[in-house]
Amino acid sequence: MSESTRLAAWRLGIIVGALLIVEASVRGGWISTFFLAAPTRAALVFWQQLTYGNALLLTSITLCEIAACLVIAAVFGVLAGFFLWRHKLIGTSYEMLLAALFSSPVILAYPIFLVTFGRTSAAVIALSSIFGLIPIIMNTRSAFQNVNPILLQVGASMNLTRRQLFRHILIPAVAPAIFSGFRLALTYILKSVLGLEYVAQVGGVGMWLSDAAYKFEVEEVYAGLFGTIALSILFLYLINRSERWFRK
Amino acid sequence: MAGPPPNRSAIAAKIQTPFGIRALTLLGVVVIWEFIGRAGLLFPELFPSVTEILQSLWTYVTTPVMLPHLKASLYEVGGAIAIAAVSGVPLGILWGSKKSWLEIVEPLILYAAVVPKIVIFPVFILFLGIDVHSKLAVGAIAAFFPISLLTIAGMREVKKVYVDVARTIGASPLQIAMNVYLPAIAGQVFTGIRIGLGAAVTGALLAETKVAKAGLGFMIVEYYGQFRIADMYSLLLFIFILASLANWAMKSVFGFLSPVSRQGGDAGMYF
Repeated sequence: MSESTRLAAWRLGIIVGALLIVEASVRGGWISTFFLAAPTRAALVFWQQLTYGNALLLTSITLCEIAACLVIAAVFGVLAGFFLWRHKLIGTSYEMLLAALFSSPVILAYPIFLVTFGRTSAAVIALSSIFGLIPIIMNTRSAFQNVNPILLQVGASMNLTRRQLFRHILIPAVAPAIFSGFRLALTYILKSVLGLEYVAQVGGVGMWLSDAAYKFEVEEVYAGLFGTIALSILFLYLINRSERWFRK
Repeated sequence: MAGPPPNRSAIAAKIQTPFGIRALTLLGVVVIWEFIGRAGLLFPELFPSVTEILQSLWTYVTTPVMLPHLKASLYEVGGAIAIAAVSGVPLGILWGSKKSWLEIVEPLILYAAVVPKIVIFPVFILFLGIDVHSKLAVGAIAAFFPISLLTIAGMREVKKVYVDVARTIGASPLQIAMNVYLPAIAGQVFTGIRIGLGAAVTGALLAETKVAKAGLGFMIVEYYGQFRIADMYSLLLFIFILASLANWAMKSVFGFLSPVSRQGGDAGMYF
């Protein structure tokens, strides 16, 4: 057995062990089903929602919101990052403002977005895009800043035009760092979208969880929670895989 | 008698600094907002004038109207950060002290860290009710991840020779944790707690906006429900100022206690 398989087996063992303890606690009557659903029951409800309910539709809504946020954040983020790199003084000045904005609890301003965009996915997309935008701006700016000047000198010595310099030297040099920004942005967008969907009770998977909680359907709450966690983990896994593939 | 008029180029030089541009940007935003608010050019209900917002903020600062809500939120955030630190630091030390444990546990923590903690709130409501304790729990779990992950990061930097020396002189695991690991990782732990504070504020207050009886987050949604937009903006401003002050205070105290903690970055989105 390889080292990575052994580690994966351990991790799986920890998760399965924890679920078995919960299952035994609920079935044994040590914890009331009013508080906790047996994992098998929650899994069954999740499966029913997946096959007969609207879990797939809700997941697709969440994924569309995430995709829209990423597109907005990528387009505006790369352009803004490039602008801040080109205008050094403005870039240095705004770096601190962006960092301050990113670390402040901006998400609490979601009612403003609900008032502006209505209780729709547009509000979720508008606010979540901000959380994707900032890491992309910062990574893009730092990617351009860190381009090896020798590469640019080589390009200049080969009499490359500005367009050729940009296409053949700058873009390949900055792409990996910008991609890292996308990865970071996706993680933040995912958290923001799911969190806002739950809090504002709008959109996809997060709204499902919120609806279940309002109805006090304990098994459905845990099924929705399972769906949200599974989506987050699957998303991170795919992001990590794609980054590895991109770096090859 | 008025002095000579300041040289234009000197003013321009002052503006053309990062501080000058930042100040000018903020001033520009305030002036444009005030103009839009007074002229009613853009969604008059959504953009109250800055003076209106500041008047409302003044009410919060000078009257006890917010006191019960502030108390509830402070209790939640304070309790959350205490629980997260008390659980996150020892667990971080435990996981980080053995490579084999860390290899198993770290990916699980990293994957769990991505899950927005607010979605666990319905579970906490089931167990703890809609009072302050369910929000405290959301804040605690939100703060736990940055604290434990930074503790683990600190543990990675502890030189093995220190631990070997402690073992040679017969130190117990608890003594090694208290006298070797903890002083060596103090900087990272402090940074983790500071970032955890941001996570706890966001987690607890966001939970308050969902279901609560009191708290600053609860008031945001109350004002939103009553369409008191100027009050809502001023309350958000109040929260941002409080969070920034708390962050600054922690940065100063921890920076004094351990200079390493000054190198730490600011909080991202850990809610």
